[in-house]
Amino acid sequence: MTALRTSRSGRAGQYLALLCYLVFLAFPFLWLISTAFKPPRELGSLHPTWIPEDPTLDNFRQAFDEQPLLHAAVNSLIAALAAALIAVVIATPMAYVMARHRNKLSAAATGWVVVSQAFPFVLVIIPLFLILKNLHLINTLLGLILVYVVWALPFALWMLVGYVRAVPRELEEAAAVDGAGRLRTLVSVTAPLLAPGIVATALFAFITAWNEFFFALVLLKTPEKQTLPVVLTHFLGAEGVADLGPLAAAAFLATIPSLVIFAIIQKRITGGMLAGAVKS
Amino acid sequence: MRVRLLTAVTAALALLLSGCTDGDGSGTDRKITLRFQSLAWQKESVDANKELVKEWNASHPDIQVQYVQGSWDSVHDQLLTSFEGGEAPDIIHDASDDLADFAYGGYLADLSELLPERLKSDIPQRSWETASFGGGIYGVPFLQEPRVLIANKKILDSSGVRVPTAGKPWSWEEFRQVTKTLTEKMGEGKYGVAWPLKEPVSVTLNLGLSAGGQLFHRGDDGKVTIKFTDGDGVVPGTVHDQVNTDKSASGSTLGMGGSDTLPGFFGGKYAMVPLGFSYRQQIVQQAPKGFEWTVLPAPAGPEGPAQGVSPQTLSVAEDSPYKKEAAQFIDFMLQPRNMVRLAKGDWMLPTGTQALADPLLHTEKDGWATGAALARDLRSAPAQSVRGYPEWKDKVATPALQEYYSGAIDADELEKRLVRDGNLVLARYQR
Repeated sequence: MTALRTSRSGRAGQYLALLCYLVFLAFPFLWLISTAFKPPRELGSLHPTWIPEDPTLDNFRQAFDEQPLLHAAVNSLIAALAAALIAVVIATPMAYVMARHRNKLSAAATGWVVVSQAFPFVLVIIPLFLILKNLHLINTLLGLILVYVVWALPFALWMLVGYVRAVPRELEEAAAVDGAGRLRTLVSVTAPLLAPGIVATALFAFITAWNEFFFALVLLKTPEKQTLPVVLTHFLGAEGVADLGPLAAAAFLATIPSLVIFAIIQKRITGGMLAGAVKS
Repeated sequence: MRVRLLTAVTAALALLLSGCTDGDGSGTDRKITLRFQSLAWQKESVDANKELVKEWNASHPDIQVQYVQGSWDSVHDQLLTSFEGGEAPDIIHDASDDLADFAYGGYLADLSELLPERLKSDIPQRSWETASFGGGIYGVPFLQEPRVLIANKKILDSSGVRVPTAGKPWSWEEFRQVTKTLTEKMGEGKYGVAWPLKEPVSVTLNLGLSAGGQLFHRGDDGKVTIKFTDGDGVVPGTVHDQVNTDKSASGSTLGMGGSDTLPGFFGGKYAMVPLGFSYRQQIVQQAPKGFEWTVLPAPAGPEGPAQGVSPQTLSVAEDSPYKKEAAQFIDFMLQPRNMVRLAKGDWMLPTGTQALADPLLHTEKDGWATGAALARDLRSAPAQSVRGYPEWKDKVATPALQEYYSGAIDADELEKRLVRDGNLVLARYQR
């Protein structure tokens, strides 16, 4: 009974901590939404309110009038989806090999993955710019996608290696005993168990590319090629001054695709995990 | 057969000639496109820039200009990469304090021979100095803003203090006394002034000119050293004493940007806020209905109301094959009537003498007249062409001033850090 009571109070504490964490995470987003619907005079109020007293859509109207948000969103979507897809397609077989065949090469590859994460953007941007220029890929979405793939690949690989290692080797051996070939084993046994990992990795690559600013700023020259994070900075002036209302409205809209994709993919992650649990 | 041969030779010659003339950018027989990267970001300013580009394109079918919007937030890194990669825009909008490294690095074209006499004589020498490096002109300064005091008119009028004018501003000592008086009259939890000093260095140095502060001294050998004189201590000393001794300035705004102080200003918590002239636009947009405000000149010292500024500039990339055409476009953009449009759009002051004389910029409404009267006292910011200044600012001056203003260190320690640590930094850039 005492143990049960402790367990219940412990559980309540866990939920409380979780709630605090959720509030902490949600606070900036909720404030962003609130700001997006406030008229300028409320933005300058000494006692700001959560719920706008005089809600308005003017910030959204102004944001769309002043900047090509939809066009930029389409560019961002193309770059992010393509980067996520290509990164996963390349990283998955590599991760399988690195996880299943441990040798000096795979150890070196893992080391490379870790080291590659240590390079800051500013260190690689000029050489990268020159390489892309020689390939005539400056100011193209293809060039940006290639950069995003290269940038996301090491971490994607690292994530996927972990997921592959978590799939018991015995399952593949059992399939082989039952007469399944290598390909059949990979497709029917390993791939379904790996699905949540692949989805999570794709999500990581997508969000990284969707939010990326600096490469897009430097590599894309003309307005019709610019992505959403670059266009959002057009609401910022010198010394941190910002056109706060339209910026909040545009930033709020920019978060929606990430949220939608995450909501859709989240079910896949959970589903995949359960499938793995039943089979193991 | 002969006719065909002659035609072919003529055509080949024509092609060759057109190739040669296009190569130096002076060709007029083929349409060229210039890329103009503008940092305008407020709607009125973007509209003014786009309209001017449209007007230019309509009247110059052979020299088309493509408008590209950049961002103040990251312009230095973006330009540096573009210069290195040979992909920089032809016409570059920036600020004069960002040009030194690009000019010395050979990335910007010397405009001395490209600009028309009209433009050269229209902009005063003191403004040209902000964009001149090593004898060359690397940008055309066209918009600038003094730092002014935005004041709550009702509090100011009811306090009985003398209201300063551009002709007779407060001295620094008088300003300190005024903020004490205002604080006493306003009551508990309210302050005569709120200094937004998230970025304390340029404000301190630029306002310090009025008190004779200079900090950076160039020797005969061209090398710059830092010396801290009595004049250099006036502005930091006033702010420090207002915050820590008189309690007439809010300590909590020291870490804020200008926009962050506006809610407190509108709410009557602060009587005055020292801000850039262009902040008036935000005040017009955000001030509650019926809120009365006024623009006052910043305090003056023995040197009068002098202030340092880093004007916005238009430059041409050294790699541009169309420098002459780019300079023509700059000349068009900065015709007096166009400079007025740009100034109104950005809520700033034009550098051009003719544009500054425009009646639109001398109305009392929104404080334009006060700002226009201060224009003649604006000078090149003290650190304008000092190599190593960005590192000194970030690593030495910003933390030292922030600690001094908050009362964590005293004046001796501030001087020691600015001078001793600062000279070590500058020495590395001047070997």
